[in-house]
Amino acid sequence: MSDRLASVEAALAHQRRWFADLRSEVADGAPLALVNADTPHEILRTMGISYVVNQWWASIVTAKGRAQDYLALLRERGYPDHSEQYSAIALGSLFDPDPGSAPWGGLPRPDLMLAETTGDASRKIFDVAAEHLGTAFYPLESAARDEVPPRWWELMPRRWEEAVGSDRLDLMVEELTGLIRFLEATTGREFSETRFREVMALANEQQEWNRRTRDLIARARPCPLGVTDSIPGVMIPQWHRGTTWARDAARALHDEVADRVARGTAVCPDERVRLMWVGRGLWFDLDFYRRFQRTHGAVFVWSMYLAIAADGYLRYGDDPLRALAARFAAFSDQLYTPPWSAEWYVKEARHHGVDGVVHLVSDDARGSYFTTRALRAAGIPVLELRADNVDSRGADGEALTRAVSDWLDEEVAPRP
Amino acid sequence: MPAATTATAPSDAGGALARLTAHAADRTAAAREWRASGRPVIGYVGADVPVELLTAVGALPVRLAGVPGADTTAGDRYLGHGVDLAARSVLTRLVNGDYGPLDGLVVSRDCEASARLFYAVRELRRVEPAMALPPAHLVDVLHLPHRSTTRYVRAKVAQMRATVETWAGRTITRTEFAEAIETHDRLRELLSEISQLRGRRPARLRGTTVLAAVAATTTLPAHRAVELLEEVRAHADALPGADEGVRVFVTGSGHDTTDVYAALEEAGLLVVGEDHDWGDLGHHRRVGEPTELALAERYQRNGPSAPRASIQRRAAHTAAAARASGAEALLSYVRDHDDGPLWDFPEQRAAAGLPAVMVERQPYGALTDEARASAAGLAYNEGGTR
Repeated sequence: MSDRLASVEAALAHQRRWFADLRSEVADGAPLALVNADTPHEILRTMGISYVVNQWWASIVTAKGRAQDYLALLRERGYPDHSEQYSAIALGSLFDPDPGSAPWGGLPRPDLMLAETTGDASRKIFDVAAEHLGTAFYPLESAARDEVPPRWWELMPRRWEEAVGSDRLDLMVEELTGLIRFLEATTGREFSETRFREVMALANEQQEWNRRTRDLIARARPCPLGVTDSIPGVMIPQWHRGTTWARDAARALHDEVADRVARGTAVCPDERVRLMWVGRGLWFDLDFYRRFQRTHGAVFVWSMYLAIAADGYLRYGDDPLRALAARFAAFSDQLYTPPWSAEWYVKEARHHGVDGVVHLVSDDARGSYFTTRALRAAGIPVLELRADNVDSRGADGEALTRAVSDWLDEEVAPRP
Repeated sequence: MPAATTATAPSDAGGALARLTAHAADRTAAAREWRASGRPVIGYVGADVPVELLTAVGALPVRLAGVPGADTTAGDRYLGHGVDLAARSVLTRLVNGDYGPLDGLVVSRDCEASARLFYAVRELRRVEPAMALPPAHLVDVLHLPHRSTTRYVRAKVAQMRATVETWAGRTITRTEFAEAIETHDRLRELLSEISQLRGRRPARLRGTTVLAAVAATTTLPAHRAVELLEEVRAHADALPGADEGVRVFVTGSGHDTTDVYAALEEAGLLVVGEDHDWGDLGHHRRVGEPTELALAERYQRNGPSAPRASIQRRAAHTAAAARASGAEALLSYVRDHDDGPLWDFPEQRAAAGLPAVMVERQPYGALTDEARASAAGLAYNEGGTR
């Protein structure tokens, strides 16, 4: 088995230093934002306002085994511990009576929060923080469209107006204009249009490197790295989007992957089965992704994190604020709304030449039928695994492993 | 209960009420009559659909409801088990053709389950055309209290108008538009008055009856619903008094059937108000002006509903509405996979200042034994009337 990539080690080390510095700056009075993953971080970046991504923090807390503690703190206050866990764990951590015991020294109390109003409960998590912690919350509408553009991934970089729809973009542009004014008024920071254009250009450069990396991995045989490397390798820079460090980190990842491909380095020398993981990362059991290399020569070559970085973020155009609106006005459609999502997963499965798809299905409203159906209609075996990606209660690790193992034996391996 | 019919019968409150609530039991009776006369029937899902546009174009709007305990195989398959069973029931019935022929389906995003139902219908029409599902339109009414949202919703109202005009094969005249708004506003006004009859002392109606009356009006031509409600109102003082109980305000999930209210009232409660959109929340705000802008503002600002409003707005509304209804206790009934109300409850309880319980993860159209005991506890401990 190959060692972890140097570029990934560097990203992880950077994240540790960044978080320590952030804690120090916040202790000295700098403003801090807690933001959902699919919100326009670029505005905060432009204004020099530090932010922590809610779902990143949940992944850290979960990987360190503290998720249940924080869900319990919500329950103690009368809030549910079985609703939107991925988004609610950070809120629970803010109620920690011993914050010093939290991973990485703990999440400092944010001054403001930014989230879209998706689903029925996601905004309520931020309402609770606003009520109990006095943190300002700026909600963004989550609009939907009646019509569906075919092959959205081809339209998004430059023809996003067509893909997303003008009504949604008009709305999001107005909301972002309001957000900028809100931040100017509440933090005293300035929004420079010149700086904003730089941030947008750097973000696009970063995603272009991600696109090249994705394409390298799709074509490479054997697979040069595992998803446990590619996920932090792409996502840590993603949360620093719009910086030169993030752009260079994406390039470093690409160059290292290219070198591995050139040298024929294999994450699993005995690669016999190429697998795709559809769904969020299984943060409470990251070893899961390597388990089937040893037993079946089965390698997870795909997760959505690098792929959506490659296809879901690029937005060019003369009006950077409208381009930024286009990056997020349909973001969840790309991943979770059929047929946007289902067609994209099929495209990616074919691009990577996978032999099978493991589809994580959580007990929530996103559903799985149309994605699974589309993949199977394309002739690709699919196993639906039922578990929450951060809440390990009810997830029988042995049963999950056995389910994949049996599926590989019975459905994937016998295929010609 | 008399057979559901839209024909006029002699005036009296009890008779009018019976004729009205019969349509809660047989939700397709009016649609069958409407269709028999060659006019279009359009189904809708969610309280955020501007029904005025359907009435104005000459269609009968029928709000699609589920059936607790009935088969949900198709809904389970296409939506998955993580979606509110009420929506799975609706989709199943739609796939099975239980609503009869529909000339179109308009779905709002009043909650995530409705949105998911629309996506499923849209996709099934594409990949399973043999199912012959009706043409579907999503009307994306949003609710943040901003001018930017109003502009967006106004555009969505205009798009829905264009769609239903296409379906009906005709345009809506200025007069038809104005009349539809006036009729539906009148309907809301009457529903508010009828709803308050349960808060009188002694109560003139039970919560179960009011819920059935509201449900019936979502299947009837608006003008016919107005006629029946006017009859009930005119003779309200002649209604026999309803069984009393501890007066409770119901929050949490919506109720598209009377099953849960009936169980609560059997347990010694009297439901005097609610803040879900199959009850008071669906009709407490009017449109007023006969313009698309006023229509957009009405639907944007209606609520605050559990899936779409902030915790703070919900708590303030629940407290005020509970007070206005004369409630003595607060009950939050929350179905499994209906997540919004779970987050609202702590602040609702604090704001209402009433004895309060939440029963969560409830099955569709029913209460678990434990929940029934909790509800009964409100009756015994707080009201002392049983």
